[in-house]
Amino acid sequence: MTAERETAARLPGDPGMWVFVLGDLAFFSAYFVIFMVHRGREPELFAAAQRHLSPAVAVATTLLLLTGSWLIALAVQASRAGEHRRALRLTAGTLLTGVLFMLVKAGEWAWEASHGRTFASGDFFMFYYLLTGVHLFHMLLGLVVLGVVLRELRAPGLRRTAVVETGATYWHMVDLLWIVIFVLVYLMR
Amino acid sequence: MSGAAAARTAADASGGRRRGGAVDLWICWWVLPVFYVLFGLIFVLLARVIPPPRPDRSPEEVAAFFHDHAATIRIGFAALMVVIGFTGVANGLVAHQMKRMAVSPVFAYAYIAALAVGALPGCLMAAFCFLAAVFRPGRDPHVLALLYDIGLLTFVGSLGCFTTQYLVLALAILLDRRRIFPTWMAYVCVWQIVTELLAAPVFVFKDGPLAWDGSISFYMGTVIFGIYEVCIIVLLFKAVRDQPPGEPVQD
Repeated sequence: MTAERETAARLPGDPGMWVFVLGDLAFFSAYFVIFMVHRGREPELFAAAQRHLSPAVAVATTLLLLTGSWLIALAVQASRAGEHRRALRLTAGTLLTGVLFMLVKAGEWAWEASHGRTFASGDFFMFYYLLTGVHLFHMLLGLVVLGVVLRELRAPGLRRTAVVETGATYWHMVDLLWIVIFVLVYLMR
Repeated sequence: MSGAAAARTAADASGGRRRGGAVDLWICWWVLPVFYVLFGLIFVLLARVIPPPRPDRSPEEVAAFFHDHAATIRIGFAALMVVIGFTGVANGLVAHQMKRMAVSPVFAYAYIAALAVGALPGCLMAAFCFLAAVFRPGRDPHVLALLYDIGLLTFVGSLGCFTTQYLVLALAILLDRRRIFPTWMAYVCVWQIVTELLAAPVFVFKDGPLAWDGSISFYMGTVIFGIYEVCIIVLLFKAVRDQPPGEPVQD
């Protein structure tokens, strides 16, 4: 497992994960297109409903995710350099940002629902819960993936850089998807 | 299982092997493409549940729907009842490969059991609701509307059993160190789990992307299911081809 010594162009981590990332981006793109089609049919209703969302909270969660992505990127570098203790701490940091993100999202959902804006309150909120919900499911899987990376880094016999890279690839995808959801659902007027 | 393995060893000893794998497994494999083509043809051309009719119809419109399509519904679902058992062969072949993986055979048992549970809401209830609806002409439209709702809600909204099936298959692939299936197939299973989760809102919505005829609940789910089926059929082909003859399989 000295893949980090290779200088030729190569795919970091498990090639299977890249199949997943590309396919998942394609399916999410389809969700985004469906969202835009429905938004195009009733732009006033979507704009009116969107005003109930808090862009400030969304910016905060976006920064949280970007921080997590930065930490896991540093963890990959640390793992490649053989600094496993540091990689472990950085990955744990990413896991923490993910948990915080999910807690903030849960609070946001609870706040919206307590004000009568639920899954059945029109197309905008249906898409809001749908897109953020599917994203949260990916994030939940991401926490499992990070758990696998942590286990890998803790075991002296394992510590394969490829596993850390695979985890980072997945986490970056979760981050990228969130940025598109953030722009489409929270920001776009 | 052990009897089949013994027969396979005997067949290999007699020198009948040509391209790897054994005749019994190749028979099982050929069931898959043949069955799934029939399955698709029946559902799309005859049974009238793919593409699904609209959920927001009045009872009178539902009665007219059953009246207009009575003949094809009968032929389609009656034909399906003849061939539906072949899913058992298809699922058995997947479970057989799962038992070759370096994981507990519990995964294979759970796979079979989850699909056995899922067959009822995922296919059989829709078939019998539609068959009953066209069996006795002149029924009260409200009764027909009930059969229509049950048939389509179970057909598109049958979730939990299938998520379990995909989850145990994904876990078995990822935990397997023998790489019977490549890891990307586990991630294809994850897409399937997401589409099953997104079929849950069909119980709430009567129109839009999450209704039972919706772009997300139905069409994206069906496209991803199609991708999954093609992938599993190709990977089973490779697994059967590369399977050493007479290899012992755990009980």
